[in-house]
Amino acid sequence: MIKITELEKVYRTEEVETVALNKLSIEVKEGEFVAVMGPSGCGKSTLLNILGLLDDPDAGSFMFNGIEVAKFNERKRADLRKHNIGFVFQSFNLIDELTVFENVELPLIYTGMKAPDRKKRVEEVLDKVQIMHRRNHYPQQLSGGQQQRVAVARAVVNKPKLILADEPTGNLDSHNGNEVMELLTELNEQGTTIVMVTHSEHDSRYSHRIIRMLDGQSVTENILI
Amino acid sequence: MIKNFFKIAWRNLIRNKGFSIINISGLAVGMASAVLILLWIQNEMAYDQFHANKDRIYEVWNKAEFSGKLNCWNTTPKILARTMERDLPEVEQAVRVDWGSDFLFSIGDKRLTVPGNIVDSNFLQVFSFPLLKGNPALVLKDMHSIVLTETLAKKLFGNEEPMGKIIKIDNKENFTVTGILKDIPNNTRFNFEYLVPWAYKRFLGDDDDNWGNNSTRTYVMLKPNATLASVAPKMKFFKEKYDKDEPNWEMFIYPMSKWRLYSSFTNGTEDGGGRITFVKLFGIIAAFILLIACINFMNLSTARSEKRAKEVGIRKVVGAQKGSLISQFIGESVLLAFLAGILAVGIVQLSLPGFNELTDKKLFIDYANPLFWLAGIGFVLFTGILAGSYPAFFLSSFQPVTVLKGTFKKAHALVTPRKVLVVLQFTFAIILIICTIIVKQQIDYAQDRETGYNKNNLAYHVFTGDIEKNYHLIKNELLSSGTASSVTETSAPLTQSWSDGWGQEWEGKDPNDKTDFRRFDADEDLTKTIGLQLVQGRDFDPKKYLTDSNAMMINESALKVFKFKNPLGQIIKDNGQEWHIVGVFKDFILESPYEPTKPMLVYGLNSHWYSVIQMKLNDKNTTAQNLKTAETIFKKYNPQYPFEYKFVDKEYAKKFEDEKRTGTLAGLFAGLTIFISCLGLFGLATYMAENRIKEIGVRKVLGASVAGIAALLSKDFLKLVFVSFVIAVPVSYWAMHTWLLDYPYRVTIEWWVFAMAGLLSILIAIITVSFQAIKAAVANPVRSLRSE
Repeated sequence: MIKITELEKVYRTEEVETVALNKLSIEVKEGEFVAVMGPSGCGKSTLLNILGLLDDPDAGSFMFNGIEVAKFNERKRADLRKHNIGFVFQSFNLIDELTVFENVELPLIYTGMKAPDRKKRVEEVLDKVQIMHRRNHYPQQLSGGQQQRVAVARAVVNKPKLILADEPTGNLDSHNGNEVMELLTELNEQGTTIVMVTHSEHDSRYSHRIIRMLDGQSVTENILI
Repeated sequence: MIKNFFKIAWRNLIRNKGFSIINISGLAVGMASAVLILLWIQNEMAYDQFHANKDRIYEVWNKAEFSGKLNCWNTTPKILARTMERDLPEVEQAVRVDWGSDFLFSIGDKRLTVPGNIVDSNFLQVFSFPLLKGNPALVLKDMHSIVLTETLAKKLFGNEEPMGKIIKIDNKENFTVTGILKDIPNNTRFNFEYLVPWAYKRFLGDDDDNWGNNSTRTYVMLKPNATLASVAPKMKFFKEKYDKDEPNWEMFIYPMSKWRLYSSFTNGTEDGGGRITFVKLFGIIAAFILLIACINFMNLSTARSEKRAKEVGIRKVVGAQKGSLISQFIGESVLLAFLAGILAVGIVQLSLPGFNELTDKKLFIDYANPLFWLAGIGFVLFTGILAGSYPAFFLSSFQPVTVLKGTFKKAHALVTPRKVLVVLQFTFAIILIICTIIVKQQIDYAQDRETGYNKNNLAYHVFTGDIEKNYHLIKNELLSSGTASSVTETSAPLTQSWSDGWGQEWEGKDPNDKTDFRRFDADEDLTKTIGLQLVQGRDFDPKKYLTDSNAMMINESALKVFKFKNPLGQIIKDNGQEWHIVGVFKDFILESPYEPTKPMLVYGLNSHWYSVIQMKLNDKNTTAQNLKTAETIFKKYNPQYPFEYKFVDKEYAKKFEDEKRTGTLAGLFAGLTIFISCLGLFGLATYMAENRIKEIGVRKVLGASVAGIAALLSKDFLKLVFVSFVIAVPVSYWAMHTWLLDYPYRVTIEWWVFAMAGLLSILIAIITVSFQAIKAAVANPVRSLRSE
C-alpha cells in the first residue's frame, strides 16, 4: 500500500538546517499494523505527516496504492486524504465548538455525503467506540479517554484504508490507553492498515512490526508476528 | 455544509462574547455612520431629480465683469422670459419665479404670514409638483387664484374643503383657492407653501420691461429635441441685443442637473466646486469610517487566529479544501456583518432626528422601498466580504502540520499587516482631531472679530403693512415709553446687503474704476442706535443741517477707494444725484465675517428706500418687558400684521451656522473614528496580553516589575500611534490649509494644534491599552508558566 524510497526532508531556518528524513525507504503492506519508534527528533512525526499527505518531501518517491503522490498539489492531496486516510493525534484535536456527533460527522461533510446517510454512519461509528450516549456533549465535557475514542471514531468514519496515529495514548492513563489500543487492533483486524508513531514499548506490542528510526533513517525492523 | 459553517460561527460568537460585542458594535457603529452619510449624499444627489422634464429645464445666468472680476449670477430682468419664448425657437416655455414673497394671509380673524412664490402661470407645467386638486394648466390662469400646499390648506381651513375658499392677501385683494399641491419634497431648491400668479405682480405695479433691472429668476424648458449647444451661442449675446448700455454682458443657461451640486463659478467659468465638494468629502469620510470598522474586524479576527488555527488544521486534515475554508470564514463575517447591520439600522433610526437637526435635513429610511432592502443586503454583503476577506485568506492558509503540533506561535501579537491597519486607523483619527480643532479655531476667530457696531439689545422689524406710514409715530412712542433708547430706519437689516452698485462719480476718480459699493440708506440716529464708531465728521442731523437730506456717510474702506485727504464735504454723484460726505465710520461687518469688509456708502434722507426699523432696546428694562410694550405699540399702529421682531445678534450668529455644522460634523466623525479604533485597539491588546502570557511569566520570574511589564506591553501600540501621527500631520496640514484658503479672513495654522492632537491620541491609546497591559502584568506567573 505504501512504498517510500530514498525520501528526504530538510527543515531550514535562517541559520540552522535540520535533516528530518535522510534517504528513508519503507514499505507498508495493506492490512499491516506498523509501529514507528525512536527518540525525539528522529523524524517519526515528519514521516507520519508525509505519509498523511500533510507535508511534502524534498526528494524521493512516495507511492500510495501504486500512484506517485510525492509531487501532488494541495488540492489533489486533500482529495486523496479525505477518501483514504484517517488521523488520530496525541492531543485528540477535536473542535471545541462542535459536539461529539458533529466532530465525527465533519469528514463526511467534506466528502459530500447526504445528511441522512451521514447520521446513520456517524451513529454506527459512535456505537462502535461506545460513546453514543455522549453524542451531544462538547469535547471539554468528556474525559481524555472518551475524547480519544471520539477522535478514533472521526478517523474511521470515512472507512479509510489507512489510519495514521501519532502517539494516540500519549495523553491517556494506562487504562484508557489500553482501551484505545484495543480499538485500533480491532480496526486493523477488520482490514484497516495502521501506522502508529509511539514512544511506548507497551503500545508497540499491539503492532505486527516495529520500525525503529534514528536521525532520519530506519535502523532496525522487528517483526512481531 | 453551510449549516455547519453557521453553526460553528454562531457558537464562536456566543462563546467569545467580549470579542463578539467589540466586533459587532464596532462594525455597527461604522455601518450606521456610513448609512447616515449615504442617506445625506443620496438626498443631495436627488435634488430636483423628480421633475419629469428635468433634462430639459435650465436656469438663466448672467456673466459680467465688476471690480476686475468676471461674476456669474442668476438674477435676471423680468422681461427676459417672454422675450426668450419669442426669439428662441428651441425654448418651449419660460417661467419666472420671484425670490419669495411672505404675504399676510387673512381668513376671517385668522392672520398669518406665509412664505410663498409669485410665479408665471405655466410654473406647474414645467416643474413637476403634483396637484392633488386642480388642473396644472389652469390653476394659476386667473390673477386672483392661489394654489396652496396640503399642509397649509389644513392649517388654514382644518378639515373643510379648501377649494374655492377665499383668502385676503396683504389686506388688499381676495384670492380664490384653485388648487391643492402635494407638500413639496425636501430635496428641491424651491421652498413655498403657496403660489400666486405673476399677473398679481403686474397688478401691484411691480412688473417692468427694464433690461437693466435684474430682479427675478428665469427658468426655461427647451423643446424635446433642442440642445444646449444650439441655444448657448444665442444666449451669449441675448442681453446685448436689447440692452445697449451693457456691452460684454453675457447670458447662459445652466442645466437643472447641476443646480444643487455645482453652481460655483470662479472668474466666469465653472470651477468644479460647490456642494459637490461636500458630497465627495462626505463620501470619502463614509468610506473611511466603514473601512476602519472593517479593519477592526480584520485585526481582531487575525489576532484570534491562534484559537482558530487548530480548527483550521483539523478541518484540513479531515479533507477541507482551502476554498471551502475561505467561504466558511467569509460566511462567518457576513453573519457578523448581518447582525451588525440590524444593530446599525437601530442606531440610524435613533440618531436620525439629531442628524437631521445637525444637517438641516429631513432624511428618513424608506422601509417600504424594496430598493432599501436590496441596498441594505448589498451593503451587509459588501461589508462582510470586505471585513472577512483578509482573515479568511490568512486563516485558511495555515499548515495543519504546524498548527496541530502546537508549534504555531507568533513571536509577537502584532504582525506586520495588522500594524499597517492600526496605523491607518489612527492616522485617520488624528487627521479628524486636527481638522476639528482648526475648524473650531476658525469659527472662534471669525466670531471674535469685531463687528464694528453694538449688537447688544438691538432689535429690528422689517416693514409690513402700515409701519412705513406710521414710522414716526411708532418711533416717538417707543422712545417716550422708555422701550427703546434710540430708533432709526434703514434700507436693509444690518446683517445683509440688499443693494450694491457701481458707476458713482467723484473728484479724481480713475476712469477705469469699477468699484462695487454696498448701498445702505439710513435715517438720523444711525450711529447712536447701532453703536457705529465715527472716525471723522458726524451722523445725519436734518434738524440742525437742512442740507443733510443729501448727506452721505462712508466707511473707511470706501474712503480708501475715494483717496480723499479731506473727505468731509466731498461730493459723490450717484444716479444723477449729488451727495456730500458728512461722516466717515469704522468698517462694520455687513456680510461674511470671513471676508474683508467692502466699501460702503450710507445715503441720507433723500434716498429713503427704507424697509427696516432698528430699535436699541432700553437696557434698564428686561427684554421681556421691552418686547411686550413694543408689541402693543406695533399692534396699535400696524393692527393687521403680527409683530415679527428679530434680534441682530441672533441673525448675526446665523452667519456661522455652516461652519459650525462643518465643525460639529468633523468632531462627530472624529469621535466615532476614535471610538471604533479604540474598540479595535482594546481587542488587540487583550489578545496580545493573552499571547504573551508566557513571556510575561518568565520576565516576572526573572524579576521584572509590574510597571516595567505594563510599559513593555503598551510600547508597541504607542509606536504605532506615533507613526500615525507622523503621517497625519502633513495630510491634515494640507487639507486644512486648502480649506482655509476659502476664507480671506482666517487663522494661521499653529504647531501646537498638531502637538495637542498627537498627545490626545497617545493618551487615548494609553488608556485603552493599559487596562489589559496592567491586568497581564499583575497576573501570577506560576499559573501562566504551569499551563505550558
